[in-house]
Amino acid sequence: MPTADRAGKGSGRGRVALIGVVVIAAWLGMGYRLFEIQVVRAAELAQEGLSQRLVTKEMAPQRGKIFDRNGNLLAMTVDAQSLFAVPDQVTEPLWVAQQVGGLLSVDQDTLYHRLTSDSDFVYIKRQVDGVLAQQILDLGLDGVFAHPEPTRVYPAGTVASHVTGFVNIDGDGQEGLELVYDDELRGVPGHAEYERDRAGHVIPQGHTNIVPAIPGVDLVTTIDLPLQYQAQKATQKCVETTNAASCWAVVLDVETGEVLAMVGAPVFDPDTRQTLDPTCDDAEDPAACRAFSNFVIRGIYEPGSTEKMITVAAALQEGEVSVGTVIPEVSDELELLDGACRSGDDDVFGCYRDFDKHDTEDMTVRDIFTRSSNIGTIKIAEELGEPLLVDYIKGFGLGEKTGIDYSAEASGILRFDAGCQTCLASAAIGYSVAVTPLQMAAAYAAVGNDGVWNTPHIVRSKVDAEGETEIGGIETRKVVSPGTALLMRQLLASVVDDGTGRNAAVEGYRVGGKTGTANKLDENGRYTDITRASFVGMAPIDDPKVVVAVMVDAPDYDHRTGGLAAAPVFAEIMEQALHRLAVSPDDAQG
Amino acid sequence: MTAPARRRALAAGSFRLLDGRRVRRPSMAPWMIMVLIAIVAFLGLVFARTSLDKSAFDLAELNKSIGEQVALNEQLRLEVARLENPARIAPLADELGLVVPTETQQLLVNLDAPSQLVAGLDRNGTSQ
Repeated sequence: MPTADRAGKGSGRGRVALIGVVVIAAWLGMGYRLFEIQVVRAAELAQEGLSQRLVTKEMAPQRGKIFDRNGNLLAMTVDAQSLFAVPDQVTEPLWVAQQVGGLLSVDQDTLYHRLTSDSDFVYIKRQVDGVLAQQILDLGLDGVFAHPEPTRVYPAGTVASHVTGFVNIDGDGQEGLELVYDDELRGVPGHAEYERDRAGHVIPQGHTNIVPAIPGVDLVTTIDLPLQYQAQKATQKCVETTNAASCWAVVLDVETGEVLAMVGAPVFDPDTRQTLDPTCDDAEDPAACRAFSNFVIRGIYEPGSTEKMITVAAALQEGEVSVGTVIPEVSDELELLDGACRSGDDDVFGCYRDFDKHDTEDMTVRDIFTRSSNIGTIKIAEELGEPLLVDYIKGFGLGEKTGIDYSAEASGILRFDAGCQTCLASAAIGYSVAVTPLQMAAAYAAVGNDGVWNTPHIVRSKVDAEGETEIGGIETRKVVSPGTALLMRQLLASVVDDGTGRNAAVEGYRVGGKTGTANKLDENGRYTDITRASFVGMAPIDDPKVVVAVMVDAPDYDHRTGGLAAAPVFAEIMEQALHRLAVSPDDAQG
Repeated sequence: MTAPARRRALAAGSFRLLDGRRVRRPSMAPWMIMVLIAIVAFLGLVFARTSLDKSAFDLAELNKSIGEQVALNEQLRLEVARLENPARIAPLADELGLVVPTETQQLLVNLDAPSQLVAGLDRNGTSQ
């Protein structure tokens, strides 16, 4: 028995020992595993876990705003919702197309085709107003969703569209200031790195790394919105009354070169990105007809008599003539190429005529300018000579871009071919030269600014987080002396007082300016009876503050001249500009 | 029976009986205090952590609210700009019979005149 007891006690201790060994082995195993997880692979596993929880999200910057000179908003970006559908999840595509299409003004057939397509994702409509989007989501339609997407809006609508330009659906600048300043307006994207739980909530105290987006700079333009509106109204009225294809106007501050208004009719809608011209329906290419254009900056035309200002200013500056100089035997017709006038061909290629027939007479420079005599002006140009005329034309900024801060500016055309017998005569009266309305406005502004030419510009300052920065580096150059500029202003005033520009008169102010009428070329390069009528002028003439240039494209025959079509528009815009700038009337200044 | 046996053992010379004070059992108080401190510290840490988490949630809510208010402000700004658009106001003004002034009215004010009220303006030229 004692032996059996001992044997029993021995096997019991053995089992206990075995269990102890097993338990110790298990603890050692767990310890090893713990050591491996917590020490050996700690960094690796921590990183793996973090990468599962970590999310990086790009933060889109807010696109900068565009203001007029008084702080009125011209363009801004606001939150919107883009509605989309997952076709596989749309159970009743026809019903959805009818419901949503009606609310969003989207063609229901097009929408139905999208909803029944094989795509995994289709847009219903992008950048919809948040309230409307919520209204649609509240319908509880299967497979219809929304995601936030900012949209660019233009509160001034069509009024400032030719200034601001527009962006595309993705927010990239396409035209106008939106394109020129695209890089600065769009800002710098930021990013947010944070940990989130399975439900997508941010884990507090988790790893976060936020680099905030830098908003785009705001642009403060030189545009005066009320004046812009009045000018646009005037151009629209002009198109209606003259049956013109289009009418364009630009208003410049004489002293600074700031663009106060830049308008055109037909107007352009930046929201639909289409020109609102009913005649486009019948156009050969309606899409091209409705495309954005800004003739003030991109359109080139032969300026006609408005360029005589440069010819006469150059001759006065060079001392070739004075205002009272008599030019002998000025006829109403001049033939530079043999037989040109007899052939019945057009005026420019060798045969030049005055608009009004008159006997051959001696005319002073003042008479020539006031009555807009082509032949008299050609004779003055011949006194001056071609090289000098070319120098002055270039000096006044024709034939090259003005450098305005706007997209796709045209440089115009100067044609002075070697051996050309008619180039001098043609250029002297504004033919065989193509300019933009802006170039002419800037040239006249130089006369108003005592002979100093300023680069026209639209943006006055930029505003970012660090404050407002004025735009500097505006190029200026002297083109004629203050004395010559003064004489030219007197001549321009006489055009309005006694000459072809009477319709440009503004009550209470003395105005100076020049009419221009140039025949348009047909597709064969021959001149037609269709004209481009223009007027460029300034006021008050004794101390000019504002220059206005107006160009009317293809007015009807009854309004075919600058004096009939463009001068009244000029007067209307100039009057509003002087009022807006609070310029005292001449008679009140004593 | 017990006492003689002890005496025998002592008498054997293996042990000696020494006189002295009774050995005191170690006090549990410091340990209790340390445990208490540890518990309080733990609870404090938990409380602080919870507070921080709550603050983080509050902050996130505030940021969200700021974002919403900014968006609302922008929407209102847009609405104001649309309402101020001359193309909207001018037709309304026409309906009300208002016209754009066509002639400049010049009001000459003699600010050096003795009276403070001259032609409806005070000496600073402010309209009355």
